[in-house]
Amino acid sequence: MIDKFIDTLRDLAVTSGFAGFIADGGWKSLIMIGISFVFMYLAVSKGFEPLLLLPIAFGMLLTNLPFTEMYHPELWKITGEGIDFGKVLHEGGLLDILYMGVKLQIYPPLIFLGIGAMTDFAPLIANPKSFLLGAAAQGGIFFTFIGAALLGFSAAEAGSIAIIGGADGPTAIYVSSKLLSSGGFKIDTGTIALAAYTYMALVPIIQPPIMKGLTTKKERSIVMGQLRPVSKTEKIIFPIAVTIVISLLVPSAAPLVGMLMLGNLLKESGVCDRLVKTAQNELMNIITIFLGISVGATTTADKIVNKEFLGVILLGVAAFCLGTACGVLFGKLMCLITKGKVNPLIGSAGVSAVPMAARVSQKVGQQENPTNYLLMHAMGPNVAGVIGSAVAAGVLLSIIPY
Amino acid sequence: MNLLSSLLAEDVDMNFEYVASVVITGLTVVFLCLIILVIILFLFGLVSKAQRRYNEKSAESNRTEKTTVDIAIPKVQEVKTVPDVEDGIEEEIVAVITAAIVQVSEKSGKRLALKSIKTAKPQRTAWAAAGLIDNTRPF
Repeated sequence: MIDKFIDTLRDLAVTSGFAGFIADGGWKSLIMIGISFVFMYLAVSKGFEPLLLLPIAFGMLLTNLPFTEMYHPELWKITGEGIDFGKVLHEGGLLDILYMGVKLQIYPPLIFLGIGAMTDFAPLIANPKSFLLGAAAQGGIFFTFIGAALLGFSAAEAGSIAIIGGADGPTAIYVSSKLLSSGGFKIDTGTIALAAYTYMALVPIIQPPIMKGLTTKKERSIVMGQLRPVSKTEKIIFPIAVTIVISLLVPSAAPLVGMLMLGNLLKESGVCDRLVKTAQNELMNIITIFLGISVGATTTADKIVNKEFLGVILLGVAAFCLGTACGVLFGKLMCLITKGKVNPLIGSAGVSAVPMAARVSQKVGQQENPTNYLLMHAMGPNVAGVIGSAVAAGVLLSIIPY
Repeated sequence: MNLLSSLLAEDVDMNFEYVASVVITGLTVVFLCLIILVIILFLFGLVSKAQRRYNEKSAESNRTEKTTVDIAIPKVQEVKTVPDVEDGIEEEIVAVITAAIVQVSEKSGKRLALKSIKTAKPQRTAWAAAGLIDNTRPF
């Protein structure tokens, strides 16, 4: 009887999660759990993008606890006929099922629907030149592509890393999940999402030194004129016009831009209050939880504890810095052309990260001139950056084979 | 995958030529798309400005017409309606309410009469009313 008791205890010990840590490569899971704790700390105590970073960190914790069977990386391996979604449904755990929304590119466009329902494009409509700043800031994406190529990443990997420079989490997830869908890559969507959201949270730290370094005190003190009022008709026609133009020019950007503009049209029409409320709150929150936890689940030890992840981290910060620099430099050019009517600081808001990047422009501007209010002027390039990064995503998906 | 990617699919080597083509094409297309939107919005702004000017002009002419109507008002308001005003309500408040009603009468063309002015009973706060409306609104 004692033998049976000991055998049972041994079986329990062998099948417990603790045994998984001792098994081959189990130490890597411990490191990942440690990293998840760091992200949880950053989200809870430091307030770094908590709405996404906390679910991502918890997903990371769940997936790295041995034998929890919530996420199965082997189910997502590409076979001759692609991913066997039937097998995922039959054999997958909870996080596998939720991850289907990422793999099938469902969550990012739905998040864009919510963003559209929350965004006011009036500053952009009032000052259409802001679009150019939003376009310039996308330079970070394409210049980082060069860096990724130099570090030996493949075209799909380089495109996925480069899109981090768009400072737009859903876009980064959308592009990387498509480009890396054929499998066999050194990085994955989870890695990209983790880097993207970490840097987005660090926008207030990364951007100001670049903004100050590239502008003079005189430029930073420029007070911009008041924006013209925008009529309701303009606000309603804007999302329809943008959808048509972008979808015709870059069809691959249609899912992101289309949903963004649908959300905005619902808001501006003023006749779909209930739908707007749902898109802004319930739907957005549900998708955010699903997206965060399932993306976090993909960050298994073998994907993070390697030199490629270090490359992603380095290139990610380079992408952010380059995007900010491109925006500010284009802002300087516009300042020159308009003979000092544009404050170059609003250029840095051209990276998406709404509204944080615009707030940074406001803050840096007010450090020079406390009576200067750049926020509304910076919101123009900021929301243009969302459209710009969606277009850049569409371009990458069109050019890079996957 | 679209035509462009299928053309490039044959050559996925990360050579200089390919990387340069991605960067140049990418930046050009992004700028092109957004420049087209700038032009559309600029044209739209012009139309909107013209519309606003037209509205202002028509509003101004309406104002001139109203002046003539103003002269005619005393004739229209020959029917005397003495409102039943609750004690304690100041004359200024009665004057403001009466003026507002005259204004509405002029705009709508209907002859409105002020019959009584009473102090409202204490009601729900705006927040409570909003909550009630929200909860009882049919789907």
